[in-house]
Amino acid sequence: MISGSRSAPEAVRPWRVLSNPQDWHCIIFHFICLAAYACAFWLYLHPKVAGITGPWSRIAFVLASALVLGWISGIDVGVNFHNHSHRPIFASQFLNRWFGRLWTFSGGWPSFFWEYCHVTIHHANLLSADDWTLPKHSADGKFENFQRYLFTHWPWRLSIHLWKDFTTRQSLRRRSFQELAIFLALWSIPFWIDPVMAVFLWALPHWIANAFVMNSGMYVQHAGCVPKTAAKPVSHSTVFVSNLFNLTMFNIGFHSEHHDHPRVHWSELPELHQRLKLDLIAGEAHVVPYGNYHAAFLLAGDEARQKGFAEQDSRYKSSQ
Amino acid sequence: MESLARAILSRAGLFFGRSFFPLFAIAIIVGAALWGPWVSLGVTVVAIAAALRSL
Repeated sequence: MISGSRSAPEAVRPWRVLSNPQDWHCIIFHFICLAAYACAFWLYLHPKVAGITGPWSRIAFVLASALVLGWISGIDVGVNFHNHSHRPIFASQFLNRWFGRLWTFSGGWPSFFWEYCHVTIHHANLLSADDWTLPKHSADGKFENFQRYLFTHWPWRLSIHLWKDFTTRQSLRRRSFQELAIFLALWSIPFWIDPVMAVFLWALPHWIANAFVMNSGMYVQHAGCVPKTAAKPVSHSTVFVSNLFNLTMFNIGFHSEHHDHPRVHWSELPELHQRLKLDLIAGEAHVVPYGNYHAAFLLAGDEARQKGFAEQDSRYKSSQ
Repeated sequence: MESLARAILSRAGLFFGRSFFPLFAIAIIVGAALWGPWVSLGVTVVAIAAALRSL
């Protein structure tokens, strides 16, 4: 089933906890992420066990931990929670709301803020002037410098846009302050345990997650793309067809399909991709054989390296 | 029997594939207790370089 709506028998089963059985993977992923933070905190507080013998080995431990924690938090929020924001994983609204709050705080976000940015701003205004979640772009669609976007977007530009939106709209103001208070209560927990540890093994990974994983993901998914029109229906996003990337990243590579069918469950995107493959080729969609990470490597480079990103996967070239 | 084994393998593959990155993170962090923080840092740098080059 590739339509967004649940079938009638599924919708009425009262004992069902999850909306889709595949969503167990989302929950397991998030709990392993939280366990990784717990392990890092415990080892930081018990340095002898972690082989920390002085300041340099402490720096090595903190750097290694912060890098991998940032990496997985970027995926946990930017991909895993992202899927939940389109297709809530629980049948219960209460569970969806509270699990969402306990999901994004370990990526430096209140869940309501992330959903607002992604669904209300990005999906509804893709590549238009109102989509302030994307890099700034010129009239011909060219994105600003890759590094500038990574270092200025989260939390600086985002905070300004969110402040403007939430304070000017009466309907959002109360909810946003309430969600921010819940987030701050949860996010501050590591600071109560050990403030120095919290800076390096909590705040630093969140910066890595947002700047290097989520921001670079947003950049590469839409760099060189144009708004959807009748003449160019599938040129709004790049499609990343690496099997390993999609296996480990909840199929986020099928990005054009995701934007056109956001209510399709993440586990059904490969099947949808196969169905739409001929349309993607006919519409000259930009398809590449790797994932977001290599795309970020290419777009972060000089002009010669950036040209590599424009190359099309040979299996998706139109024969005309 | 063969189809059952295939189904189990397929499910296990999906589980480990989808949980690969957080499991790798736990191995890096907890592994520091076994092989020391410098090895963890080295493996992390190599893994990031490999992802940027090929994934």
